[in-house]
Amino acid sequence: MSGGAERRLPGHYLKSKEMYSLPGLVEYRPVARYLFSAGQAQSRFLDGLKEGKILGKRCPRCGRVYVPPRSYCEYCMAPTSEWVELPGTGEVHTAVVSYISTFRERMEKPEIVAVIKLDAPGYTKGGYEFAGLFHKLCNVEPEDVISGRAIGMRVKPRWRPPEERKGDVNDIECFEPVES
Amino acid sequence: MSWWKENVASRIRHYPGSMEVEKYVYTPGVHGLEQAKALKEGKILGSKCGDTIYVPPLTLCPDHKPGELVEVKGPWRVVTYTVITETMDGRKLEKPEVIAVVKPDDAEGGLIHRVESDQVYIGMEVEPVFKPEAERKGTIDDILYFKPK
Amino acid sequence: MRPNIHVKNKVAVVGAGLTLFRRRMLETPRELAWEAASMALESAGLTLKDIDCIVIGTAPDAFDGVHLNGEYLADGAGGVNKPTVRVYVGGGTGVFVPIAAWWHVASGLCRTVLAVAEEKMSPAHPHPQGVFAYIWDPVLERPLGPNLIWIFALEMRRYMHKCGAKKEDIALVSVKNKANALDHPAAQAAAKITVEDVLNSEVLVWPVNRLDISPVSDGAAALVLASENEARRITDSPVWVEGVGFTLDNTHWYNRELGYPRYVQYAARMAYKMAGIERPWREIDVAEPYDPFDYKELHHIEGLMLARPCEAPKLLKEGHFNRDGDLPTSPSGGLLGVGNPIAAAGVMKVAELFWQLRYEAGARQVKKPVHRGVAQAWGDLMQAGTVIVLGN
Repeated sequence: MSGGAERRLPGHYLKSKEMYSLPGLVEYRPVARYLFSAGQAQSRFLDGLKEGKILGKRCPRCGRVYVPPRSYCEYCMAPTSEWVELPGTGEVHTAVVSYISTFRERMEKPEIVAVIKLDAPGYTKGGYEFAGLFHKLCNVEPEDVISGRAIGMRVKPRWRPPEERKGDVNDIECFEPVES
Repeated sequence: MSWWKENVASRIRHYPGSMEVEKYVYTPGVHGLEQAKALKEGKILGSKCGDTIYVPPLTLCPDHKPGELVEVKGPWRVVTYTVITETMDGRKLEKPEVIAVVKPDDAEGGLIHRVESDQVYIGMEVEPVFKPEAERKGTIDDILYFKPK
Repeated sequence: MRPNIHVKNKVAVVGAGLTLFRRRMLETPRELAWEAASMALESAGLTLKDIDCIVIGTAPDAFDGVHLNGEYLADGAGGVNKPTVRVYVGGGTGVFVPIAAWWHVASGLCRTVLAVAEEKMSPAHPHPQGVFAYIWDPVLERPLGPNLIWIFALEMRRYMHKCGAKKEDIALVSVKNKANALDHPAAQAAAKITVEDVLNSEVLVWPVNRLDISPVSDGAAALVLASENEARRITDSPVWVEGVGFTLDNTHWYNRELGYPRYVQYAARMAYKMAGIERPWREIDVAEPYDPFDYKELHHIEGLMLARPCEAPKLLKEGHFNRDGDLPTSPSGGLLGVGNPIAAAGVMKVAELFWQLRYEAGARQVKKPVHRGVAQAWGDLMQAGTVIVLGN
């Protein structure tokens, strides 16, 4: 194909209606159910959430603190032997305002979603990598995200009441500004 | 190196999940569209690559070019078969089902389909039974099953 | 060429082919693969008999809705009864396909390789975005009900914060690429639009609007690669593969700085080293960085070291990356303009370099003389970088 428009490329575009009225069209609904194991390190982490604690694992060789915890240090290939409890506070690395659901339906009330860089005392590696979580923010307005006020904001977890906790990431309802 | 032992007391958590889409929609393709139209008319097509006809019609002949679509008439014969007595989730079927590869004498390849017979044998001559014309959609289940001729 | 690596054979691209990129197509995935593969063979003046090995690329099976999608595509891609392999690194697959084809030839294993990438995203209903839900970690991420666009929005917001870039600076990428695509015969989303159009389109996940994103597409693309001896027999103007690079970071995307794609930089360093390139910002004449979202092009320009970190928005505004600029990027129209059938989109980018470096890109030909180009793709959970350097 030299250059451009002189050659018509192969392919037949279908309008949505045309596709559904094609003879020989096959529609199929797959259903696959799974049981995902959280594994050893993450199971302990999730047990910690139930107790209102954020637990991480430290690599004895390089000093990296992993949250979410891994059983191994991916850089040193060494087992991460030591559990550490983090204070839970941290700063917002980045945050956005979502107007759509997983399946792209419009949501009535937008959600604020963020990456939280957690305070990890003694973490000897700085900069590019950090201990952090992906979660939602509350008490933060879309305007704070748009203006940039929310980025770098100090936040802490808002825990669900102990009786409602199930040992999953939603035991933290969200992260909220430390001041509030 | 006792890292794998320290969690022994702790329960391993499991999370149920699923992979769902509402549905997949598969277009028949340029080649398949002709086959679909033929099935609606109660015909089964093969693709002619040189002197050989392939059933089902290959999208591409062995020379990597599309073949010419031609109707295959049979007679069809059972090439191999199996008898199903249970469903996928292990329920006993009331009546065993026969699944077979059937091939027309004038073509290579073969279709996989149901055969309605409790006396099935390799080499048995069979013929397709189509749905009533109004119910056909151009898919392989427009053929209900093959029955002994 | 300064191949700072020992290879048995130098490798050249000698042919390329494409189908239309469209929202939904009649063709089955293997028919799409066949169309692109046949065109690539024809453009090299070869037939399948001349091909030793096949490399297939396609992103998750869950889009086409066919498990073992590589095997399913084998006959369309010409792989029946030949040494055939499928490679996969998410969105990075497109550029990984010619990389894999390169080592098949460079190693001396095959003299000629047909490399075919295909994606059909229209089968999944109600929307392929639902399929993307299953790339998230089932334990720590899926319970939050994420949408794929979240992760891009988070990265874009971080980039804006880190670099002081505004939405209107970034929207210029979409304006540029969609306009470039007006000259591309495969284009699905070519348009003359303004920055205001981007800003006024539907806000999906702030800061991402609808026109910040490439469309959902069906399509296929293919290349023919050959060893030096074969290439010189096939054509007078082979385009040499001068360097390849690829790296993978971990899936813990929220444990790292999202403002800079380190994994792309590592892949680029590997490719540049092989190509003997020390100052890519001066030695590269044309680039096809991966642009599924508009900010991604800037992010990747910086990862490819074609601009300093945070410098890309300023250079973009000055016209540096336009087709008549000093370092044209995505002269094809990119994913934003031509379309995004995932693996095929990456191969389309490499095909564009092939045409640019042979001065065959017609209305899309960049103004400056070209000797070297770089194409790059990115993929998975903000973790894969694939880079290829071509030269004439």
